Formats: sequence, structure tokens, C-alpha cells
Amino acid sequence: MPVDQISETNGRIVIALSGEIDLETAPAVRKALLDNLKGGKDLLIDLAQVSYIDSSGIASLVESLQLARKQGHDVALIAVSARALRVLELARLDKVFTIHADLTSALAVNDKTAQQ
Amino acid sequence: MVATERPASAGRLAHDPLDFAAALSRSFAATRDVDATTRHALARIAELMQVEAGAIFLADEAGGDLVCRASTGPVNIDGLVVPQGHGIVGRSVAEDVVLVVENAYDDKAFYAEADKHTGFVTRSILCAPMTVGSSRIGAVEVLNKHDGQPFDDANQNMLKVIASSAGLAISNARLAAKLVEQERLKRELELAAAIQRSLLPPADDALPIAGINRPMREVSGDFYDFFQTPDGIVAFCLGDVSGKGMNAALLMAKTASLFRCLGKTMHDPARLAGILNREISDTASLGMFVTMVIGIYDPSTGMLNFTNAGHMPPLFRRGDGTTETFAAEAPPLGILREARFTTRSLALDRGQFFLYSDGLTEFPVGHDELGIDGLDRLLARQSDARLDDRLAAVLRELDAAGGQARDDLTLLAIDDSLAAHAAGREVAAAFEDGEFLVGFTLISNPNRLKILRPALLAAATACGFETDDAHDFVLGAVEAVENIMIHAYGGGKTGEITLAMHRLPDGIMLRIRDFAPRIDPAKIQPRLLEDVRPGGLGTHFIRTVMDDASFIPMPEGEGNLLELVKRRRARQE
Repeated sequence: MPVDQISETNGRIVIALSGEIDLETAPAVRKALLDNLKGGKDLLIDLAQVSYIDSSGIASLVESLQLARKQGHDVALIAVSARALRVLELARLDKVFTIHADLTSALAVNDKTAQQ
Repeated sequence: MVATERPASAGRLAHDPLDFAAALSRSFAATRDVDATTRHALARIAELMQVEAGAIFLADEAGGDLVCRASTGPVNIDGLVVPQGHGIVGRSVAEDVVLVVENAYDDKAFYAEADKHTGFVTRSILCAPMTVGSSRIGAVEVLNKHDGQPFDDANQNMLKVIASSAGLAISNARLAAKLVEQERLKRELELAAAIQRSLLPPADDALPIAGINRPMREVSGDFYDFFQTPDGIVAFCLGDVSGKGMNAALLMAKTASLFRCLGKTMHDPARLAGILNREISDTASLGMFVTMVIGIYDPSTGMLNFTNAGHMPPLFRRGDGTTETFAAEAPPLGILREARFTTRSLALDRGQFFLYSDGLTEFPVGHDELGIDGLDRLLARQSDARLDDRLAAVLRELDAAGGQARDDLTLLAIDDSLAAHAAGREVAAAFEDGEFLVGFTLISNPNRLKILRPALLAAATACGFETDDAHDFVLGAVEAVENIMIHAYGGGKTGEITLAMHRLPDGIMLRIRDFAPRIDPAKIQPRLLEDVRPGGLGTHFIRTVMDDASFIPMPEGEGNLLELVKRRRARQE
């Protein structure tokens, strides 16, 4: 399954996706993302193990971002694999999403934001 | 002057000096051990002439100092060096005359050093030079007749005959020894050349590749190799080791062996070049390097990947006769340990691909050199059916033009038209759609996509796309199929979709057909990118990653046919 692991760290929900996200698997990804936004927390989506993602997967990411922002929260991406980054660039979404190198730097930046 | 050439007088010979000289010549001719024969001859001379002592001096290699090579008598003076022109023996050799000294200590020329060291008392001396033509071989010297008498004319004539005969015999024996040594060296070089030839691959009529190598000397610094791996891929290389002779031949043998070993499992020429480069950098003597083109070729598709490490530009002649060359982008192997190599991809498409050493392009033609253009013209003229015959004909034509090779001549050729014929690609070429690779039929269920993707990726790779571009192609193709599943079939999972992949000379073409009601292409538009919201993104991906995406008009009720084309990126030249 593309939704690998869901955990909570420092008040943020971390969802690790993996494998191929396409028209077949995107609905499960979409559901996991939207479900986890119901708790009213920021979302960190780990894309390190994603070997393929196309417009259906990207659409799920965009939908969760839009929903989170409506609720005053954020969705950020971490450890984006080269293949996933290429698709985000093609969609010109690499500047829309906040992208962190790894979980540690994502949490550090978020802490700083929280202190401000 | 005390030393004089005495007038002839009656003297009795114990034996006929001519018989003795003849026997001496025979014994020298029968042996290769000049020193032993010289010692033996001297003992016979001393016996024949009834003297207390004797010595044979030979001029050293430089023709200057005289070195005693044999001595007989109470004292051994073997190895004694008489400086050029010194002593009776030195004068005899320098002036090429027989000298007689009645009382050595009355003669200023007498070189008394030997007596001082040995305690021998020299009284009378007879010395005859050994000369062959203008070449001074040395001299034979005899001392103190047993009967205390001076050396008479008969003695002089006898030693003169013996000395000239011995000189000739020694000279011949030396020449023979030199010839034997040359022969040995020649045999060793021939052996090395045979080992080198054994490193070249045997001709294989079943493969559309052939090579030829003609060393300028026995051993060559050039080499080529090719072999087919179990998956049908042909690995090949052509290299030129800096320098000539044994050093170059040994480095060539090493490089060729490494290539053959690594090439069997490694299909990325740039990576292989990187490993060879590090190995040669680490182990070859300083200043030695190898220019080399390494490549792989797939006879079933005509795709060729290669990397050029500082070598002459490969020559590509397309089926239509136009040509292209590919200059090296990386330094020769063995110079920069950290050098980076890049793999270029080429669809031969019934063209010919040539690798050559600079010995060919620098082959003298009139006052000029053959050059790449000359080589190309020469290659274009060849019409033999067999590829290796064509290469041999090129060398024959060069020889016939009267030029003399200044370097090793090495040539390797791949003729894709031979492979295309064998693989049945010629039939496909008749269609302007390119060559049909593979076709699929699937139902519009998204769970089929994961089966489709590896096939799309493999097809793109077979058409020469680099990894990133091949993945882009997969993305665009899958988006198109997903569009059909979502829009044309409206999510229904039983609709039929067919895909046909075609290899184009410069890329890949994919036709996707569905059997749903007709779509109005005008309604399919990529979304505005600034508008961040889902949907419409797939069409944008298709347009971005493909060079062409168009619907081919179909009769009403026949569904929709989408044609996608992706071309390989233009190369930098």
C-alpha cells in the first residue's frame, strides 16, 4: 500500500508514502491525507520511498494542501524522491509546497515558525 | 727504433701454419663460445711456436682499449687492459704491423706494467695484429722463445698468418653470436605479437561487427575487441596506447583484458570507462595513457551507446549517406583519476558506425594525410558483402596508393543494415511510422497500469532514451491512458484500450486507441498552472513530456486514436 506509516511527532502528523501512486492507488492516499487533516494538525508527507507518482497522486497532495489551508494549517513535503520531485517540477508545484530535506529540518523550521 | 721488422731468414716450421690456420677457423666456426675457443687457440699457438708465454688481446666494444682475453705461460694476465696505443701490442694494432722486439726493456714502447705485477721477465716479443678489412680485432702476442733465440722471419710469417686467420674466425664468431641474439629477440617479439593477436576477437560472420589491426612493428599499441553477451548485446571497444613497443603492448594487453572481463556484466560504457580509468591511473607507469572508445550495440534494435575517452571521433554514416562524428568529451584513460565519462546514445537505423586509430587518418597520401574525410570516402567505396573484407580492402587501397604507414592501423566497423536485415527490421522500415516494437491490449481498470509501466519504460530505453527521459515518457503515456479510463470510459472498468509502440529514428511513437464515443480534442485543455487545484494536470504532463500529442481522426463509432511522439534530446556538438 502507498500509505506506509502514520505517526505523530511534536504535534504534527507524519505520513510516509511509498511505491507507485497512480489512478489505482491514489484514492487510498487521498483518503489517508484528508482523514488525518480532520484532527486539526499540520501534516508532513514523507515522499522518500515514492518511485512513481502521476497527476492522480499529485491531485491528492494538492487537495490536502487546500483543505489544510482552509483550516489554518499546513501541509509540507519531506525527503522528496528524485522521481517525485521531477513530477512536482513538471506541475510547477515545487514552489507551492514547502519541501524539507528530512523530518528533523521540517520540525526545526516549524518550531521556529511557532516561536515567532 | 729498437722494435724492427726483421728481414726474412731461414726458419724451420714445426707444422705448416696454413694447416694450423685452417684448423683454427674450423674450431671457431664450430663453437659459439668465443672466449673458450680463443683460449684453446692460444695454447696451440704457444705450443706451435715454442714460447714461454703468449696472450690474445681483443679491442673492447668501443674499439679503444685492448683487453687480454686469453693468456698462457707462468702468469695469467686475463683481463689485463692495455690503453689504446700503448705498449707493443697497442702499436701493432694501431699501425696494423707485425712487431718484433729483441729486448723488451730496451724498447720505450714496452708496457712494463704487466711484468711489475706478475714478476715475469719479458725478453723478446713477437706481436701480430688481427685485422679484418678496416676493423681492428686485436693482436696475438708471444714472448720468450724456449731456446732463448730471437723471433726470426719464419716465426713472424707464421704468426702473421695465424693472427689474420684467428682475427677472421673471431670476427665471424662474434657476428654469429650477434645474429643468434637478434634471432632470439625476434622470436620473443614474434611470440609477443602472437599473444597480442590472440587477444583480438576472431571474425564472426553472425555479427554485424568486424575489426582489423595491422601493427607497424611486431607488437602493437592499438587494440579492438567485441563480443556478444547472452542477452544479445554486442560489447565493443577500440583503443590506442600511448607510445610504441613492449611497454605499450603490455598496457594494451592489460586494458584489453580488463575490458573483456568487465564488459561481460557491465552495460554502461561510461561506468566501465570510469573503472578502467581509475585502474590505469593507479597502476600504469607515469605518462602512459590509453585513448579508447567503449560501446554496446543491440543488433535487434540498432541502438548503440558509447563513450569516447580522448580517442579519435567515431564516424557515423547514416543510411542516406550523411555523416556525423563525435569528438571526445573526456580525457584519455589513465590521466585524470577523477575524470567523468558520459554515455551517448545513437540509433544506427541501418547506418554504419566506424572506430579507427590515428594511424589511419594520419596515413600519408601524397603530401597530405588521409584525414577523416578521406577515410570516410574510402569506406564508402567498399562494396564487399562481408564486413571484414571491406576493412581489408581499405588497407589494400591505402597500400596501393603508395603510402607507408607511420603507425599501427586499426579499424572497427558496425554495419546496422546487416543486423536490420537479420532482425527483420527492414520490413518495418518500409513504414514511415518507424519500426513497430510491441503492442498491448488492456481493459480500463487502473490496476492494469502497474503492469503497463515497466513495458513502457523498457520500450523507451530500447529507443535510446536516458533514464530521466524514459521516466518522463512513462509518465506522459500513463497519463494518457488514465485520461481514457476517467473521461472516455467514465470510470467503467471494462472498456478496451490498445497501445502500439513504434521505434523512430530519433525517438519513440506511441499510439493509444480506445473504443469509447468520440472526444472533441478542442475540449481537452491543460489547466492553468497558476490555478492550484486538482484536475487537468494529466493533460499538462502529456503536453510537457511529449514532443507531439495529437488525435488522429477516426470514423464515427471507431473510438479515438491518440498519437504521442517523444524525441531524444538534441545532442550538444
